[in-house]
Amino acid sequence: MHPTVGLIANPASGKDIRRLIAHGSVFDNNEKANIIRRVLRALDVFGVKRVLAMPDLYGLVLRALEEAHVGLRVEFVDIPVTNTAADSRLAATVMAQAGVRCIVTVGGDGTNRVVAQGCHNVPLVPISTGTNNVFPSFVESTLAGMAAAAVALDVERVWEQAVHRARRLEILREGRVVDIALVDVVVYDERFVATKAIWDADKMRALFLTAPYRGTIGASAIAAYLPWAEQVARDSAGLYVELGAGQTRVLAPIAPGLIVPVSVRSVSPLELEQTVPIPHAPSILALDGEREVPVPPGASVAVRLSARGPYVVDVQAALQAAVEEGFFVQGGTERG
Amino acid sequence: MAERLLTTARAIAEAIAQEMERDERVFVMGEDIGAYGGIFGATQGLLEKFGPERVMDTPISEMGFIGAAVGAATEGMRPIAELMFVDFFGVAMDQIFNHMAKIHYMSGGNVKVPMVLMTAIGGGYSDAAQHSQCLYSLFAHTPGIKVVVPSTPYDAKGLMIQAIRDDDPVMYFFHKGIMGLGWMAPNPRATGPVPEEPYTIPFGQADVKREGSDLTILTLSLMVHRSLDAAEQLAEEGISAEVIDLRTLVPLDKATIIESVKKTHRVLIVDEDYKSFGLSGELIAIIAEEALDYVDAPPKRLAVPDVPIPYSRPLEQEVIPSVDRIVQAARELMAE
Amino acid sequence: MALSRETLLQLYEMMVKIRTFEERVAEIYYEGKQPVFNIAAGPVPGEMHLYSGQEAVAAGVCAHLRPDDPVTSTHRPHGHLIAKGVDLKRMMAEIFGKETGLCHGKGGHMHLFDPELHFGCGGIVGGGIPHAVGAALAIKKRGEDRVAVSFFGEGAANIGAFHESLNLAALWKLPAVFIVEDNLYAISVPKTASTAVRSNAERGAAYGIPAVQVDGQDVVAVYEAAGEAVERARRGEGPTLIEAVCYRFRGHFEGDPEHYLPEGEKERWKQRDPIVLLAKQLKDQGWLTDEEAQAIQDRMTALIAEAEAFARESAYPPPEAALTDVFVQAE
Repeated sequence: MHPTVGLIANPASGKDIRRLIAHGSVFDNNEKANIIRRVLRALDVFGVKRVLAMPDLYGLVLRALEEAHVGLRVEFVDIPVTNTAADSRLAATVMAQAGVRCIVTVGGDGTNRVVAQGCHNVPLVPISTGTNNVFPSFVESTLAGMAAAAVALDVERVWEQAVHRARRLEILREGRVVDIALVDVVVYDERFVATKAIWDADKMRALFLTAPYRGTIGASAIAAYLPWAEQVARDSAGLYVELGAGQTRVLAPIAPGLIVPVSVRSVSPLELEQTVPIPHAPSILALDGEREVPVPPGASVAVRLSARGPYVVDVQAALQAAVEEGFFVQGGTERG
Repeated sequence: MAERLLTTARAIAEAIAQEMERDERVFVMGEDIGAYGGIFGATQGLLEKFGPERVMDTPISEMGFIGAAVGAATEGMRPIAELMFVDFFGVAMDQIFNHMAKIHYMSGGNVKVPMVLMTAIGGGYSDAAQHSQCLYSLFAHTPGIKVVVPSTPYDAKGLMIQAIRDDDPVMYFFHKGIMGLGWMAPNPRATGPVPEEPYTIPFGQADVKREGSDLTILTLSLMVHRSLDAAEQLAEEGISAEVIDLRTLVPLDKATIIESVKKTHRVLIVDEDYKSFGLSGELIAIIAEEALDYVDAPPKRLAVPDVPIPYSRPLEQEVIPSVDRIVQAARELMAE
Repeated sequence: MALSRETLLQLYEMMVKIRTFEERVAEIYYEGKQPVFNIAAGPVPGEMHLYSGQEAVAAGVCAHLRPDDPVTSTHRPHGHLIAKGVDLKRMMAEIFGKETGLCHGKGGHMHLFDPELHFGCGGIVGGGIPHAVGAALAIKKRGEDRVAVSFFGEGAANIGAFHESLNLAALWKLPAVFIVEDNLYAISVPKTASTAVRSNAERGAAYGIPAVQVDGQDVVAVYEAAGEAVERARRGEGPTLIEAVCYRFRGHFEGDPEHYLPEGEKERWKQRDPIVLLAKQLKDQGWLTDEEAQAIQDRMTALIAEAEAFARESAYPPPEAALTDVFVQAE
C-alpha cells in the first residue's frame, strides 16, 4: 500500500470570541485553503501518492485541490460531518486505523488536542492557524508538507531525529480519563462552556502545564514569564501554578494583544504520573485555552501529567535529517 | 427696501440652515453634500456652518443611507437625505417604497418617519436617459409619500421648511434647471425674491402664477417657467392663459384646479415626466371625474412621449416640452 | 455579566416562553385551513414564519438589551419581539388582525412595530439592517449609550443592504450589533449554494468589524458573545458582527414541505434543542429540578393562553380604518 498522509484542517478555528475580547487575527478559510494547497504540492513533489483527509462543511480540502494541480489522490474519511470537534477526533481515529504514516493538522491548540485523542501513535505535523498556537508551530506550510513527506516515505533517521513524544495532561473523573490537554489546563471560576475561550485572569484559580513553556501566549504565558519557573520544572516535569491573591503579579499575554497582571501564589513542579485533585468546585476546566470539562459541586475531578501524549514531528529537524539523507537531491549525492 | 434675490439652490440651502438652527434633530446626509455643497448647490454653506456631524458626506450607498435615514427618523431624528439624481432611486427603491412610505401605516400610526428625501430631476442639457428623468409620478403613485415639486426660489424655501417640519416622509424634487446654477443655461426665473425670515407654504396649495381666462395650464417645476414664457407670447396673440403651478402632487390641490377649469373650460397639461400612466393622465382623470361638464374641448397634454431621454440636442429638444410647443398646443386647444 | 443562576433561569424561561408561543400560534394558524390548505382562511391568515428551534439566539442577545435599545428584525420576528419584552396580548392580537393589536391590525405577523420597545420588523430581506444603522446613528449623535441590534438571516447577508450597512456602521463607528442567524437555509437554498464564503464571520474582516461565530443552539454561548458585543458598542467602540449557527425546527413557513432537507438532518439538529441543552446544563449544576422546569412550562402555557383569549375576544378594526394612518397629517 502506498504511504498515506492524513490531513485534518479545522474550518472553525480563528472565528471565536477572541476576535472580540482580544485582538485575535482573522484567519479566513481562503487562507486555510492556501495553506493546505501548499502542503499538497509538497507531498506531491516528493512522491506521496495518497492523502486521506477529513471532510468538512466548508470544503477546505476540496477548495485547496481546485488549483493545486497535483497528481496525488485525495480521499475523504467516511465519517458524518457534524461540524464539531468530534469530527476531528473521529477522523484521526479512522486515519490511524487506516495506517496513515503521519497526520498534518491545520488549526490551533484546540484542533491538535482533539486530534491527539484519536491519532494513537501516528505522528502529527501541526501547522498553526489558531489563536494561541502553543502546540502547533508557525511553520510555513510548504515546509511542513515536505517534512510530512519525509516522515511518510520513511526517510532514514527522520523518525529518530525529528519525532518526539509530547506530554499530555489527563483529566480524570472518578478515576477515569475523560479528556486530555496538550499544553495547559486552567481551573476557571465559571460553570459553563459557553463561548469556550477564557480571558478573565481574575477567574483563573489554578494552572497545569505540560512543560515550562517559553515565549508563548495563552494561559501558559503565566508561567512562561516568571523567571524562576523553568528551574522549578527541572528536566522532566510540568508545572502546577496556584493563582489568586499572592505576592507575585506577572504581566502575561493571556490572549492576543491582551496582556494583564495575573496574581500567582505558588509554582510547583508537576511530576509525570502525579495526580492532582481539583479543589475548586464548582468550576470549569479549560483545556488548551477552551472551556471543556465542567466541575460541578461535589464532583471528583483530577489532573494527571502523563508521557502518553501524541508523537510530534519537529519540522526543522525532519528537514535537516532529510537533507543529510539526500532527500532533496536528484541524481546522486556526490558533491559536484 | 430692496428685494432680496436668491437662486433656488440658495433658497433651499437657506431653508435647511434655518431649520437646522431651530431644531437640533435635523441633519443632512448624502453624496457630496458636505464639502461640495451638493452637486446642485442645495446644501451650499451648510458644512461650514454646522460641521461634519450634522452635514454628512456618505459613501455611494443609497440603500444604506436612505434606509439609515428611515431608521434615524423612527428614533426621533429629522434627517434630510439627498438622492443625488432621482434616476438613482432604483438602488434604494425598497427603502423608499416599502419602508419609508409604509412604516407609519403598517404600525397602525404608532411609528413616525419624519424625514425629507430630496432629489434632483429634469433634463434639457444632454445628460441623457439615466440622468434626466423626473419620475415624481412613480412616487406620487405610492401611498405614504408626500410629493413636493417647487418651481421658484420663494416656493422652494417655504416648501422645504414645511417639508422638514412635516412629520411624514416627504420627497422634495428640485429641477436642475431652476437651481440657478452657473454651469447650466441661464434662466432668469431661477432667481427671485426670498424673504430672509423662515416661512412655510402649506402642502396641498397650488399657486396661480398667472391669471387668465381662456385656458388653464396645469404644470410644475421647470415647465412652470416655460409655461409663463409661453403665456406671454400667447397674450400678444390675444390668448389669455392661466398658469397654475401645482407645487405639491401629494397632497394635490384639486380645488384650485377645478375652480380654474370651471372658469376657462380648456385645459393644457405641461409635464416633463413621461406621458403615459402618470401625472398628466391623473389630472385628466380628476377633471373627467369632477368637472366634465365644464370642459369644452378634450384636455391636451404635453409630456415626454414615452421614450427615454435622448442625448443629442435636437433629439432631446424634440421630446421635452418647449415654449414653442406649449404655444402651439395652446393655439390648437383654443381652435377646438 | 455573570452567568448566575438567576440569569440562566431567566434565559431558560424566555426560551420556553418563545417556544410555547410559537407552537401555540402554529396550532391556531391551521384552524380553518384544513382539510385543504387555504392560506387566506382561518383566524390567522397570510404567511407564518415561526421561530421554534432558534430561541437561544433571541434570548441570549436580548437579555442584554434595555427597552430603549432599538431592534430590527425580519419576517420571522416573534422570538425577537418576545425576548425584547413585548406585551404578549397586543402581539397576539396583531397576529389575529384585531384592533387591539400592536398596529391596530394594519401590520400583522410580519410587520410588528412596538415603539415603546423601539422594535420594528418587515418582510423585505435585509430591509431592516439599514434601519439599525440609522438608529445607531441617532444614538451616537445624541451621545447616548444605547445600542441598536439588527437580526437577519444568512440569506440576507448576501443582499446589498447588508454590505452597505456594515460599511456605514464601521465607517461611522456606530453602536450597532449585527446578528446573522445562520439557520443554514434561505427558504430551500442552503448556505453552501448561496454564499461564497462559508462563514459570514469572515465577512467582518471585509469591513473592519470584529466578527465572531457562536453555537446558536447554546444560549449561554450566545449570551456570552452578545454581552461582549453590546458592551463594546455601549462603550463607543463600534459595531460587531455575530454569526449564530442555529436551525429552524418548523421549516421556512408553515406549510413548507421541506422536501429539500437531507435525510435525518432535522432529527440530528433536534438533538440539540436549545431548551433541552440549557435544562441539562442547569440540572448538572443543581440549578434546576424537573419540578421547577414543569412549573416554568405551566406558567408560560397560561401566559400564552391568556394572550390568545385576549386576541380572540378583541374586535376587528372597522373597515374604514383601512383608509387612515397613511399620513400623520393628510393635508
